[in-house]
Formats: sequence, structure tokens, C-alpha cells
Amino acid sequence: MGAFEYRQAEEVRDALAHHGVRYLFIGKSGAILLGFPDTTQDADLFVEKSPANGAALVAALREIGFALSEPQANEIRRGKDFVQLKNGPFDLDLVFAPDGLESFAEAWQRRIEVEGFPVCHIDDIIASKAATNRVKDRESLPRLRSFRDYWLAKHRR
Amino acid sequence: MTSSEVPRNVPADWLEEFEAAARRPLPLRWRYAMIHTYKPVLDDASFRSFDTMEDYRRWCEQNLPDWLGYGRL
Repeated sequence: MGAFEYRQAEEVRDALAHHGVRYLFIGKSGAILLGFPDTTQDADLFVEKSPANGAALVAALREIGFALSEPQANEIRRGKDFVQLKNGPFDLDLVFAPDGLESFAEAWQRRIEVEGFPVCHIDDIIASKAATNRVKDRESLPRLRSFRDYWLAKHRR
Repeated sequence: MTSSEVPRNVPADWLEEFEAAARRPLPLRWRYAMIHTYKPVLDDASFRSFDTMEDYRRWCEQNLPDWLGYGRL
């Protein structure tokens, strides 16, 4: 498997929009969409947990090439808290209940649109990363918080 | 961004990186950001699901090498 290409990100955006999936980019991939210069190897999607949204997501994922068996599709439809997909053209993590965020609806209200990509607000990305309390996030959080200050100043203008 | 608008707490080298990234179009930013490296254990299954985030965090701590950084502090 190669790197996750931009045209594939566009396929995700377009297929999920076509199927009416309610989701947000979160994690480092979300920060990168907002302009944060860093590296990662997958994308994390915060998906609204509902049977209809799960069904729409399964249809969209299959359309863009994820080989989901029926039991796997059912787990996504049910909205397990975390699903890790490495059975498609790129790696994708589905997060239905990210640490540190109260609800999808609240995060959706604060979302930022970047060239059609729905992205969590930088404060929500940081809140989620801080709540996980992982070693790898401890290393990246100071720079991400500085980016937040930069990003907010830039977008207040 | 003018000098008066720059947040004072952002280190100069990071600010330079943020400004440089802001000048790049999104497809180029994405290309620079996305790399693929093999992560042992994590990349050895094509599908995993967890009922709760706590289950996932615990699985990471019990199964992944420490150096990947998925353990909690």
C-alpha cells in the first residue's frame, strides 16, 4: 500500500457526500487539512453514530474500494466506538466516540469546511488528542497548540 | 500575517513552518503530510473494531510495541 493520495481524499469527501454521511475529519489528518504542517499515514473520521449514517458510510466505503465483509459492515452500521480499516486503497480509522468530545452534534456546529472537507475545529482536535493522553500525542501537542494560536489569529482577520 | 498579529507565544521556527504551509495549496500540503511506514502489529490485520475507546486503548497498550507511542502516560 502506498501513501494516502490527495485524489483519494477527494474520493472520500465526494463518496461520503454523495451518500449523505455525517462525519468530520479529526486527529492529525484534520489538523493537516486546516494547515498544520506535519506527517501522518492515515485519516481519522469522526462519524455520527446512527444506524442510517452507518449504513450510508458502509455504502460509501464499498464504493471507494474497501472490501468489507457483511459481518464487518454490520459492525460499522452498529457504530462500534472505533473501527480500523486497512482493507482498502488507504488506511482509515473510524471513530464514533472520540475521547474528549461530548457529542457529534456539538462538534458539527463548530466544524470548519476546507475545500469541501468537513473538519473538526482545531480546539476539538486538540481536546481529543489531549484526552487520549498518549505518549505520541504528548510530543505533538505543544506544536499543535502553537498552530491553534496561529490559526485563530489568522482567521480572526 | 503582520508582525503585530503574530501570537507572541509561537516559537519563530514553528511560525515560519506554519506560514510556509499556509502558502502551499491543499493538494501539496496533503502530499507532503501523507507518508506510509509499516507499523508492526498495528498494520498486520486488515480490520479491527472495538466496542469502546477504552477497549481500543487497552488493546494498544497490551499489544503494540512501546516505541510506537500508543501507550497512555
